Amino acid sequence: MSIMAYNGGCLVAMRGKNCVAIATDHRFGIQAQTISTDFEKVFHVNPRTFLGLVGLQTDILTVHDRIMFRKKLYEDRENREMAPEPFSAMISNFLYEHRFGPYFIEPVIAGLHPKTLEPFICNMDLIGCPNKPDDFVVAGTCSEQLYGMCETLWKEDLEPAELAEVISQAIVSAFDRDAISGWGASVYIIEKDKITKKQIKTRMD
Amino acid sequence: MARRYDSRTTIFSPEGRLYQVEYAMEAISRAGAALGIRAEDGIVIAAECHTTSPLLDNDIFQDKIYKINDHICVAVAGITSDANVLVNEMRLIAQRYQYNYGSPIPLEQLVSHLCDIKQAYTQYGGKRPFGVSILYMGYDRRHQFQLYQSDPSGNYSGWNGTCIGKSFGVAMSMLKTELANRYDNPEKPLTTEEAKKIAIKVLAKSMEGINAEKVEMAVTTLGSNSRPVIKMVQKEEIERLITKHNEEEEEKKASTSTTT
Repeated sequence: MSIMAYNGGCLVAMRGKNCVAIATDHRFGIQAQTISTDFEKVFHVNPRTFLGLVGLQTDILTVHDRIMFRKKLYEDRENREMAPEPFSAMISNFLYEHRFGPYFIEPVIAGLHPKTLEPFICNMDLIGCPNKPDDFVVAGTCSEQLYGMCETLWKEDLEPAELAEVISQAIVSAFDRDAISGWGASVYIIEKDKITKKQIKTRMD
Repeated sequence: MARRYDSRTTIFSPEGRLYQVEYAMEAISRAGAALGIRAEDGIVIAAECHTTSPLLDNDIFQDKIYKINDHICVAVAGITSDANVLVNEMRLIAQRYQYNYGSPIPLEQLVSHLCDIKQAYTQYGGKRPFGVSILYMGYDRRHQFQLYQSDPSGNYSGWNGTCIGKSFGVAMSMLKTELANRYDNPEKPLTTEEAKKIAIKVLAKSMEGINAEKVEMAVTTLGSNSRPVIKMVQKEEIERLITKHNEEEEEKKASTSTTT
């Protein structure tokens, strides 16, 4: 079995009208055995930027710390907030530096530009190949199911409330067809003046 | 062959002095002054900027006061290019500590680590000392608000109020009188607001012709979640502080002239 599927978990981010959403499941397991059901794979890195990391749990924590190291140095040197686009470029470079001994994670970035408020979503593979579409990005052990759900439910110019509904339905239906993701989910809706967090109850088996 | 001379940059003179280090300190005592005052509820650092030209684009870079991380801020006096190297080094040290231990670096560790580097440059061959003195302000839960100072030799010390740079002797003796009996004195605790006033008063004395364009000031206080907050004081407020200071001086002058 792939090391990427050792702990399980999934992520999805979507673009809406002047907003973005990112969702994560809560499971942390060791192969088929569930260890805990409160492990969120999404980090609030800046007022309007979220970073999701899915894959090997130890690498999630390490990569998060190392990315924060670089981001804080950038922000102190430049004396401004890091926008999501350079933030993604930085992660991509960081992952490619470990091209031949990679961290076993896949990142998802969702945010609004601090000045222009332009929505931005991005995901990568474990060596940092970026993918920046204008609809949705997925990652994790049920990424195929997520692609299916997103392609069915997502529409252009969704309002924040509709986007929350779409992303919740997408992630819940996707990880219901995956044994090592799920056990609850969290959804974050990022708008220019507020961030809404929703905890979703799901079947716990 | 060049090594024979290069490696001898900092050696003792026959009288037992390190001339390169002393020259470095001399360079600093000509640079714009910076001072720091520790209050009960925060710390103030203020600095004199170089003569500013209206053509200079200083949107991004400050001149004398630099943030190191979320809870440490420094003011430098001396050669700016040397200071930039040290500021970068400090930012790295602070982030490395955060990464390794998962908590913010205690101020004294940062200071002592940086001073190890400064000291090395007074001992190893082929190098000259950094021509920079630094004031550090910071906060941690164990030691509360702290103010440190370091010089090119790598010496450092903690202070309630201190000054580096041009005419620091005058400023130090002024600080001494202004801050006399203000510490461990529960009846008259020193506030940051008062410290700001004192800072302007002392700077006005050591600068020729004080104005808001030539002063930078930063304050560390505790935020609502008892985390430290570093704020650059806005030019408008500095302007206000200076006007107030000038008015008080005028009044003092007027009252002394009427009594005599």
